[in-house]
Amino acid sequence: MPTNHEDIKPVLVPPLNFSLVEDTIYRSGFPMPINYPFLNTLKLKTIIYLGDLGHEKKEKKKDKHGTGEIMQNYQDWLNTTDITFHNLLVESSQEPFNKREEHEQTIKSLTIALQLMLNKENFPMLIHSNKGKHRTGLVVGLMRKLLQGWCLSGIFEEYEKFAMGKSEYDLELIELWQPELYVDDTNKPEFVRI
Amino acid sequence: MNTTVPNNSLPSNNLRKITKPPAVRIVPPLNFCPVEQQLYRSGQPSIINQAFLNQLNLRTIIWLASEEPSDEFLEYCNSHSINIEFVSMVDDDFDKHMNPWDSLNEPTIKRALELIVNKENYPCLVCCGMGRHRTGTVIGCLRRIQGWNLASVSEEYRRFTGSRGGRILVELLIEGFDISSVHIDKDKVPEWLK
Repeated sequence: MPTNHEDIKPVLVPPLNFSLVEDTIYRSGFPMPINYPFLNTLKLKTIIYLGDLGHEKKEKKKDKHGTGEIMQNYQDWLNTTDITFHNLLVESSQEPFNKREEHEQTIKSLTIALQLMLNKENFPMLIHSNKGKHRTGLVVGLMRKLLQGWCLSGIFEEYEKFAMGKSEYDLELIELWQPELYVDDTNKPEFVRI
Repeated sequence: MNTTVPNNSLPSNNLRKITKPPAVRIVPPLNFCPVEQQLYRSGQPSIINQAFLNQLNLRTIIWLASEEPSDEFLEYCNSHSINIEFVSMVDDDFDKHMNPWDSLNEPTIKRALELIVNKENYPCLVCCGMGRHRTGTVIGCLRRIQGWNLASVSEEYRRFTGSRGGRILVELLIEGFDISSVHIDKDKVPEWLK
């Protein structure tokens, strides 16, 4: 209890690039074991992961970053919760040499993510990628524009806070892409202005 | 945990199709960001941010700059019955030696935090001229009350400081601030601080 400072509170470590996006929507980088106690305090119902872990086509010869184990730890923690986990494949950008099929997959994943954000039954929700910069920034930017009607300069300012100087193709996509989305008005979150 | 295989099996009867962003664009204030539920931070709002601010239904604005806010901003607060708290401009005779670029002093931080830990003031916006250092100091101290580790508190502070980066004095102030000096009424504490 914060009212009693004599109690020693456990230190809470939020994930990299953690922030609120809207009431009960959060964003961050990839959650690591040190972050699990913090995440438990958010009482999450849904996690959307935009990334490439867990989608390896075949067993890699060498897993030099230990990503297999990281993903396994994460899955084990998720199993201790009631969180619905959506692992949406978005390959990291190799701009300007992006493959067409990867781009199509990205578009598909982003559409699903936006669709999940249009239903308040899915909240509290965490959206994360690996570093919480580009892929997360992209989907938050799209939400700001398509669902909330923010002006682009405000969106780009917010994107830059997290991306810190490396913006890639994301801003272009935020500006130009218009998907077809569906909303059930009885489950529409308050922040959605359309 | 529930793992779902995403698919696009959507359209049913009560779904409304969305094919364009909201018709009227809204402009967030400089350095705007949600901090916790119904708690926001930003730089000084201007006339173009009115439509954006309206949808936050603010009850309280905590003004941290030592100068008066602009007349149009005061008028806005007046006409929307928003209570504006000038925590940093308390005693002109006593604080005459203060400069606008000085850091906040501890009594001011304490005053601001005691407004923030009282849910009767919500929805609430914390702001100063640019939404960088003064706002960052108060939010940083709030994060410490929440039990965040200091590295994450600094990461968040620096995210809002712009290209010239964070000030070591602000970080020292956050690190050294005595959080036990903040009086928290447990009947009025916001849900996320419990």
